[in-house]
Formats: sequence, structure tokens, C-alpha cells
Amino acid sequence: MDGELNQSGCALVLTLARYFKRWSLWSKDIIILITSDSKAGPQAWVDAYHNEHAVPAVEPLPTKSGALQGVVVVDNALNHRFESLHIVYDGINGQLPNLDLFNTATAIASGQMGISVVLQRMWKHRDSYQERLQTMLRGMVSQGLGHASGPHSSFIPYHVDAITLQAVGDGWQDEMAMGRCVESTFRSLNNLLEKFHQSFFFYLLMQANRFVSIGTYLPSAMLVAVNFSIMAIALWIRSGRSTAPKLGSTNGKNEKKAEVEIIEQDGMLAVAPKQSLVIVERELFLPIALVIAFHFLGVIPLYLFNNARRDAFSWTFTIFTQANVLLPSLLAALLSYQSPLTAQQRLLLQCFSLLLLGMFLATLATLNFSLAFLIGLLAAPLSFAGQPFSTTSAEDSRSGWSARKSLMTVLLQVLSPPAVVLAACKASGVNVEDVLVEAAFGWKAHGLWTQVVVWCIWWPAWIVGGVICSPLL
Amino acid sequence: MVIDRRKATLFGAAAALRIFLFVVFPSLSRLLAGRVEVSTPVTSFKRQRISNLDQAPLLLPLFSLIPATAFSAITSILYILLDLFCAEALAQIAESGESRETRLYKSPRHELRWDGTAVGAAYLFNPLTIAACIGRPTSLFTNCAVLYAVAKACERRPLLAILSLGLASYLALYPALLLPPLILLSYDAKYKGSSQPPSLIPFAAIHTSAFFGSIACFLSESFFLTGGSWEFISSTYGVHLLLPDLTPNVGLWWYFFIEMFDSFREFFLGVFWLHLGGYVGGLCIRLRGQPLFVITTLLGLCAIFKPYPSISDTALYLALLPCYRHIFPLMRYTFFTMATLLYASLLGPAFYYLWIYAGSGNANFFYAITLVWSLGLSVIVSDSLFAVLRDEWEVERPEMKGKDVRQI
Repeated sequence: MDGELNQSGCALVLTLARYFKRWSLWSKDIIILITSDSKAGPQAWVDAYHNEHAVPAVEPLPTKSGALQGVVVVDNALNHRFESLHIVYDGINGQLPNLDLFNTATAIASGQMGISVVLQRMWKHRDSYQERLQTMLRGMVSQGLGHASGPHSSFIPYHVDAITLQAVGDGWQDEMAMGRCVESTFRSLNNLLEKFHQSFFFYLLMQANRFVSIGTYLPSAMLVAVNFSIMAIALWIRSGRSTAPKLGSTNGKNEKKAEVEIIEQDGMLAVAPKQSLVIVERELFLPIALVIAFHFLGVIPLYLFNNARRDAFSWTFTIFTQANVLLPSLLAALLSYQSPLTAQQRLLLQCFSLLLLGMFLATLATLNFSLAFLIGLLAAPLSFAGQPFSTTSAEDSRSGWSARKSLMTVLLQVLSPPAVVLAACKASGVNVEDVLVEAAFGWKAHGLWTQVVVWCIWWPAWIVGGVICSPLL
Repeated sequence: MVIDRRKATLFGAAAALRIFLFVVFPSLSRLLAGRVEVSTPVTSFKRQRISNLDQAPLLLPLFSLIPATAFSAITSILYILLDLFCAEALAQIAESGESRETRLYKSPRHELRWDGTAVGAAYLFNPLTIAACIGRPTSLFTNCAVLYAVAKACERRPLLAILSLGLASYLALYPALLLPPLILLSYDAKYKGSSQPPSLIPFAAIHTSAFFGSIACFLSESFFLTGGSWEFISSTYGVHLLLPDLTPNVGLWWYFFIEMFDSFREFFLGVFWLHLGGYVGGLCIRLRGQPLFVITTLLGLCAIFKPYPSISDTALYLALLPCYRHIFPLMRYTFFTMATLLYASLLGPAFYYLWIYAGSGNANFFYAITLVWSLGLSVIVSDSLFAVLRDEWEVERPEMKGKDVRQI
């Protein structure tokens, strides 16, 4: 892991193999896997084990056993004694192993052996509120990115519970301690009659002994996703109302009087113009076609950033970011030139885009909670783009500059997907090129879906928001 | 034969899209053929190749005549042609005007219409239809036969219609429920405009016997094809009636029957089939003036309540619905139902993945989403029924046009 040679880990594992062979109490086969690199190696092996390898290019495995019950990755790149065990448990696309496996390792390490357990790179954890919050947020970022956080990540999509035990720090625990932890974990896994399923699969760890269950945290992601759906419903209803005519005015000119109607409900009377009670026929074709077209447009950056050459990544991304700033205005100008949208069509365009965004985020929240939550928060201003709160569509037909529109445009530009990626890279000190390479590698090797969500769901919704906000429309 | 340019463009575009999907994404076909929403045990493409256990024997020579090397390519072209054939039948149904004006009823909104090409486009570019075409279930043959039967009935050729319905009922059991409304539709279409039409009873008797005769023909052909044994009846129709295979699908039956005690099985099978068949009589009597709408509604109800539904049945129902464009303004829940169907079609595969592959969900998640899907479809069916009844009611009470009404 982390690109360092796993010298003590390999030595330990080979020793353990010789040690395990002497015992006759093993009820399951134990497979020792040593690969040359920590990302592609395990993925290739587990793919071949499950017959998912690329058939002509890769040979099938000569020896296989039954279904994999559990995987423990031993990582010890230190050449001195360590202090604590860092347990890494995130899988590809945010899928997590069963909490029982993590609890087993923690109970053995900290309970029996007295070795402290750390997670999410929080080397010093004093169990304060801030540190628990930070651990949880780091876990969410790691889950949201969905990348392979360790060699164990490749096993989790195959429904094999896997964790990585990494020796960190400078203390007085040696390989014997680590070996005893691994052996105890293996003895525990040996006693299993069935796959882990009794404990939680969806959790956020705050500390080695504390976690948040899905029933507590899922409503937050669902509320963020439902926000878009509610906005879509509101826009739909508004698109059915026509412009409200003037009932009376102090102007002396003889204006055509609007027809009014008396409505009675619950014993109260109201006078309303007849026009505002009728539902206007909605022209659906152009907004639907535009939303579908924009979502398919997301395939272009997806293909681009998955298949570009390594040295071309940084300048491709820079050019793309700069083009992205101008893209909504360009599309808005094109639209107003080719087929200008009526006020109703503008409302419907935003309605369908938000409906799709809400739907995808709600579905994603069941699969990868953190990704749905983060993207939902970053995309939240999209539900305020345009003029969703004005009561009549007459005000929407006003185009041109206004303070609110310009503020919205700036906010949307700041929160565009490429801008967010750039900002995140600057804040965490990681190179943009490395991030893109990691993403492309994840797509090709691990089946990573994060970039699909970003380019094919978030970016098209952002484009629609930008187009609606644009004064050129 | 004059080929309409718009129609030719539409057919060309639809065929091009499907060829593009077949050629550029060859794994998509295998993926969709393996999904439970697209292929059920009685319609699966994969099972067709291995053994013809649960499907009609007449399909066997069709598929075995195709050489194995080009099997995939030729069946793809065959299914594309089937889709285009369905669209052509739909266009004929729409153009005949039977949805707006029948022998006994004329809608006050009959000017509001989509022409045949638009209805065909709504069918060909429906994502459900495209997915069903790429996944290649054999239910597409049933859909074709049903649409052809309805088209011929609208075009005043009742015997052809009955023959086609016989083929459809032979392939899958449920089109037999469409016999009464189809007879009424062909009777109405044939004697439209005549003041003294002949009696309905002999007409119905002749065509019912023609129906059973055609089924007898198909059954005896199958008898000879399977080497002179009647075993295929228990495997083909027994599967629908007795539900031995409980593979999950988008329907309601499998979950019930998985957890049912054996002693109650026959009773509940009877209840479920009775439920499905119970709608025929009531709808035919109440909507005597609009038999095409009865057929549409029955297809919708079958898509929800039949033993092994799939999205091709839903696509068939949603194909006939645009013929009733004139009642769309009267429908109250379009946005809600479309959103529900979209949500269910996204969450369904997600929860199926969580259940089968990730192992972190269970069958209840998936079944809940199929219930939501069925709910959405039920609301469409009942909403369109409400709209048609309201439309009929406004002929008697034209002053209520545009006002809110409530059905009591």
C-alpha cells in the first residue's frame, strides 16, 4: 500500500503459511496471495477467481477453491516496531465489508492484544467530538470517491468481506504481535458457518468502537435528493399556470377587463381571474429532448478523461475547465437563436432536469450514500437557479441582467464540477493529474462509477442550471 | 403502395438506433437478456437456445432454422423487423380513428389527435420498447400478434383478427382474455355507419368458433412438431397456470407463492387468475361503445397482474395509450405516474443489485419497488379509465366541460 515495499508483511505471511500448515483445525482453505502491486494485482486475481477475467488476454487460474469467505490484507512496510494497527475497510464504489469483520479485528487487536486501532489515517484519536466528526467526514470522502483505498477494496464488490491491517507508527509492537492478530482473526473466520450477514453493511465509523447506522444518516441524503424532486413538482405546477392578467388599475385608460369568477370554498368567497384557474397545455417535447441531449453530452468528458494519454491529462483538463465556463452561455445563445424557449418551456426544462437529478441521487444514496450526499450538497444551488419562486411566469419572460441572476451565475460557476475538482485538489495538496489518472485507472481496472455520476448526472444538471441562469436565453 | 415519407424516416431512424445499439454495444444484448425485468422464465432468449421447455413449440422451428454462426445477427434483425411491424400495426390502429369515433360513440374531443406516425414514434422511441427489443424476449411475438389482431379488427377484417389473436393466445395464455372485446371491436368496425346491422350473437358465435378452431390448429401443429406427444401443453400452459418457476420478475405473483403453504396453492392460483379474468366482463359491458379502450385497459391490467409480466407488456400498453390523446387533458395524475415509473425503473435494478450481488439487501427491497411500479401502472390504468368515463359523461352533460368533477 502507498507504493512502499511490503517487506515485513510478506515475510510475516510466509511464516504464517508455514505455521498454519501445522494445525489440523482449519475448516476452510487458506489462500496466501502475494502480488507485485497493490491495486491491479488483487483485482486481476479476484477477477480470474470468479471467471470475470478478459478471456483471450488472461489465462484462467489453475487452482481454485470454493467461495471466498473473508480476506485479510497484511501490510507492514516498516522495518522497525510499530505502534498501532491502521484498519482500512473502504471498498470500490463506496461498498463496505460487514461490520462484524471490522469488529472482530478491533476486538482482537485492542481487546486481546492491547494494540491500539486507528482508522481513516487519524493517528491520534482522543475520542473527542471533533475527532469523531473528522473521522466520519474522512470516511465519507473516501467512500464518496469510491476509489480503491487498499488491496482489499477489489474483493468487496464480489461480496467477500475484506479489510487491510496496516502497521503504523513507532512503538514497541513487533511482527509477532501482528502475526498473533492475524492468526486470531483467521481462527475467528475459521469458525464461521456462513458468510457475514448478521451485522451492518452500511455504516459510518467515527472511532474503532463507534459507528453511525444507516437509519440515522440516510434521511439526510434522501432529504437532499427529495429537495430536487419537490422543486420539480413545484415547477411543473407553475408551468401549468398562465400569466395573471391585471384585474384593475389606477390607470385612466380603458383596458380590457379580465373575466373573473367567484369561487366558494368552506363558506368563504373569493374572486379570481378566470385565466389563472385554467391549466395551460404544456409543450413537453423540446424540454424533454434538451434534457436527454444534455445527459448524453456527459458521455464526451467521460470518454475523454477515461481514455486520454497520461501526459495529456493536465492540459486537457485545463482546456476543458476553461471551455466549461463559457459552455452554458454558448448553449443558451444557440438555443435562443435556433428555437427560443417560451417562459413555460424554460420552467419545464428546469423541472425535468431537477426531476432526473433528484431521482438519480435518491437511487445513488442507496448504493453510495456519501457520493450522493456530497454531490447533492454541491448541486443544491441548482434548485434556486432561474426564478423558481416568483408567483407568475410573467416575471420569467424578463431576460437580461439582474443582480440575482448575476449572483446565481457566479455561484454556479464556482460550483461547477471541474471547478470543484480543482478546488479540492488545491485544498488537499494533490495533483489534478494524479486524481484523473487514479479515476481512469479505477474505471478500467476496478469498475469505478464515480466519474459516471459526475459527468453524466451532475454536469448535465449543472449545464441546464447555467443555461437557465444565462441572460442570453 | 404509397410509402409516407415521414413514416419511412421514422422507421429508418428507429431501425438505425436499434442496429447501432446491437452493433456498438454487443454486451448490452446479453446484459438485458439476463435482467429479470426484461426476460422471464417463459420469454427468455437464453432459454430459447438451450431448450424449448416453457415456450410455445411453434417458435422452435423458427429459431432452429437460423444457422448458429449468424444466430445473434439474424435474430437481432428479426426483432427489429418485429418492432417495425408492431409500429406499423399501431399506425393503422391510430389512423382508423376507432379510438375517437366508433359505431356507438363519438368523443366530443375527437379533433385532438396524434396521427399514426406520432403514435408509432411514441412506441418505437419508448425506452422500454428499445430495452425489450435489445433483450430479445419472445413476448415480442405475442405483442406483434395482439397489435396485428387489433389493427385488422379496426380495418374491418375480423377473421384475420381472430386468427391473429388465436396465435397470440397460443404463444402466451393471457390474450385469450381479449377475445370478447375484440369481437365487439370487429363487429363495431365492420358495421360502422350501417343503420341495421345484423345481430351480434351469430357474429360472435362464428368468430368464437373460428378462434377456438385456430387454437386447435396451432395445438395440433405443435403436437406433430414435438413428435406426437401432448406433453408440451403441460410445460407451456401449465407454467402460466400453475406457476412452478418462481424467478423474481416485475410482477406480484412470485413473492406471494414463494411463501405460500402448498395446501393453499391451488386456491390462490385460482383467485389470482379469477382476478385477472374478472375485469373482462365488467369492462365490456360498461364501455360497450369503446371496445378499443377495453382492449387497451385489459392489456394494462394484464401487464400488472399476469403471472410473468415484463417490461414488454408495459411497452405494449403504453403503445396503445397514445391513441387516446384526446382524453389526456382529462387525466389527473400524469406527472405523478410518470415520475413514479421513472423512480421505480431506476430503483428496481439498484435494489436487485443490492439483493443478489452485494448481498446487503434482501428480496423485500426489490419486491417493494416492483409494487411501486405496479402502483404507477395501476394509477395510469385507472386514471385513463376515469378520463374516458368523464369523456362519455360530457356527451350527456356538455355544460360541465372544463369544470372539476369528482367520481362518487
